Amino acid sequence: MNNARVKLLLNLASIGLLFLILYLFSRYGTEYQIRILNNMAVFITLAVSYNLVNGICGILHLGPNAFITIGAYTSALLTMSAAEKQMTYIIVPLVWPLNVLHAPFVVSLLAGGLMATLFAFLISFPVFRVRGDYLAIVTLGFGEVIRVLANALQGVTNGPLGLKGLLPYTNLWWSWGVAVVTIIAITKLINSSHGRAMKAIREDEVAARAMGVDPFKHLLLAFLISAFFSGVAGGLLAHLITTISPTLFTFFLTFNLLIIIVVGGLGSTTGAVLGAALFAWGGEALRIVERPMDFGLFKIPGIPGMRMVIFSIILMLVIIFARRGIMGRAEFSWDWLLARLGRSEKG
Amino acid sequence: MNDFFRLEGLLMQFGGLTAVNDFSILLQPGELVGLIGPNGAGKTTVFNMVTGFLNPTAGRVIWQGEDLTGTPVHKVTERGIARTFQNIRLFSDLTVLENVMVSFHQRLGTYFWEAMFSLPRYRREEHRIRAQAMDYLQELGLAHLAGEKAGGLAYGQQRRLEIARALATRPKLLLLDEPAAGMNPQETNELAQLVRKLRERHSLTIFLIEHDMKFVMGLCERIKVLDYGISIAEGTPAEIQRNPAVIKAYLGEPK
Repeated sequence: MNNARVKLLLNLASIGLLFLILYLFSRYGTEYQIRILNNMAVFITLAVSYNLVNGICGILHLGPNAFITIGAYTSALLTMSAAEKQMTYIIVPLVWPLNVLHAPFVVSLLAGGLMATLFAFLISFPVFRVRGDYLAIVTLGFGEVIRVLANALQGVTNGPLGLKGLLPYTNLWWSWGVAVVTIIAITKLINSSHGRAMKAIREDEVAARAMGVDPFKHLLLAFLISAFFSGVAGGLLAHLITTISPTLFTFFLTFNLLIIIVVGGLGSTTGAVLGAALFAWGGEALRIVERPMDFGLFKIPGIPGMRMVIFSIILMLVIIFARRGIMGRAEFSWDWLLARLGRSEKG
Repeated sequence: MNDFFRLEGLLMQFGGLTAVNDFSILLQPGELVGLIGPNGAGKTTVFNMVTGFLNPTAGRVIWQGEDLTGTPVHKVTERGIARTFQNIRLFSDLTVLENVMVSFHQRLGTYFWEAMFSLPRYRREEHRIRAQAMDYLQELGLAHLAGEKAGGLAYGQQRRLEIARALATRPKLLLLDEPAAGMNPQETNELAQLVRKLRERHSLTIFLIEHDMKFVMGLCERIKVLDYGISIAEGTPAEIQRNPAVIKAYLGEPK
C-alpha cells in the first residue's frame, strides 16, 4: 500500500470514528452535551471558513457576521410555514414572495449559503479596492449595515422582534456533516495551486502579481467560498437556536471568531478547528466563574460576563506567550503523527 | 521582427518630480542589455513601467508588436515578461518549491472546484507542475533545498530562487533588477555564467540593472546609461567606458 492510500484510509477511519462518537452521544448523551457538540460543529465551520480569508489570504476581514446573518435569515424564512409566518409578522406583514416560499431544510441551507455568496460578491468590488486597516474598516461597515438592515427591514426580517419558533432541524448529523465537508473542501483548496496563489498574495502581493497571480480574482474566490460556508453555518445556527434576532449577529460574533482563529493559529485550519472546539466547550465550562462563589472568608456573588473577562485574559496570554497561536501556521498531518508514534515506540 | 521590445519616449512624473524622462530603447531577440546609472537615476522606475507596476505619464511599451502600456502586472507576466526584484521579495513562509510552483498558476487549466473535490485532472496537473518546478530548482542548484522555507535561505540562494521563480513563468524577456547586489566577487562570477547559460537554454532576451561594473561590462553586449532620469549614453561596454558624459555622471567633473 502506498503512502497516499494509507492516509486516505486513516482519514476515512477518523471520520468514521467521529460519527461513531456522535452516534453514541445522540443515543446516550444528555441534551446539554449534544447542544455543546452542535455549537462546536457550527463554530468549526465558521472558523475554518473565516480563516480562509484572514489566515490564508492574510486579509483582515471583519464582516463575517453579515454572511452569517444573511444565511440564518434566508434559511429560516424558507423553512417557516406560511401559517407561522403570518403569526410571527404581527407589525408589518412579510413581503411577497417570501410569505409563500417554502423549502426543505437542506435547500434552505444551500440558499442561505448562496445568498451570503451573492452579498459577498456585491461588496467585493469596494472591499478589494483597499487593503490593510482600510479593508478592515470597510468590511466592519458592511457587517454593521446588514445588522442595521435586519433591524429596519421589518417586512423581511420582522425587525427587532426576530423570528421565533423555528423547527430544530439542526442535529448532530447536520452540524458535523457540514463541518466535515467544510474542512475537507477548504483544506483541499488551500493545498491546491489556488491556495498557493492565495498564500503568495499574503506573503507578498507585489511579487505575487509579478508571478502572474491576479490578486482580485483570488481574494474574491476566497471571499466567496468563505461567505458560502458561513451562510450555511448561519442557517444551521438559526435552526439550532430556533430563535433569531439582529442582536445575535453583532460585531461581537465576528470578534469571537477572530479570537478563535488567532488563538488557534492564524492561517492554520487545524488551529481553527481546535480554537472553535475550545471556544464552544470552554464557553460552557467557564460558566462556573459566573456562579456565586463562597471562599469561606468572603463571598463573590455571581458576575454575569465574567467568562468574557477570562476569554480576554486567555487571548492576551496567547498574544504575549504564543504569538502565533496554538498551531502557528502548521497543520495536522498523518506523516507527523506517524513519525511521532514511531519515535515514541523506539524510545 | 522589428518590434520585439521597444520603449518609446517613456515619461514618469510623480507630482512635480520627473523620475524618468523620454526613455527609449529597442531590444532585439536574444540580446543581453544592461541599464546602469547612479543611485536614484530612475532605473527601477523603467522596470516598473515595463511590468505594469507604474503607468507611465507618457510614452509606450511595445512588446511583440502589441502596445502593453497600462496593462495590469499579471497580464504582462502572462505575455512573457518576467522580473526579479532589487530588494528580494520571496514568499518567505512558503517552501522553496512552492515559491516556484506559484509561477505555474497562471497557466494552470484547472478550476478551483476541481481542486476542492480532488478530481483526477487536477491531481495530474499538480503532479506535473511539481515535477517541472523541481527542474527549475535543479537548474539553479536549489533542488536540495526544495522543502525549506524560502525565508531561511542564504542571501545568494534567495537571489537565485528569485530567478528560478521568474523563469518558471516562462518569459521571453527577463528583467533582472540588481541580481548581483550583495554578492562577493566569486558569486558574481558564477552569476554571470549562470545568466549566459540561462539565456542560451531558455532563448531569453535579458535586460538587467546592475551597479557592479565588472559584472555589467563583462556580461552585457549593449549598455544604456541613465542619470537623473535622462538617458545620457548608449553603446557597447568599451564605448561606455570611454564616454565622457558617463564618466562625468559617475565621478563628477575634473576641477
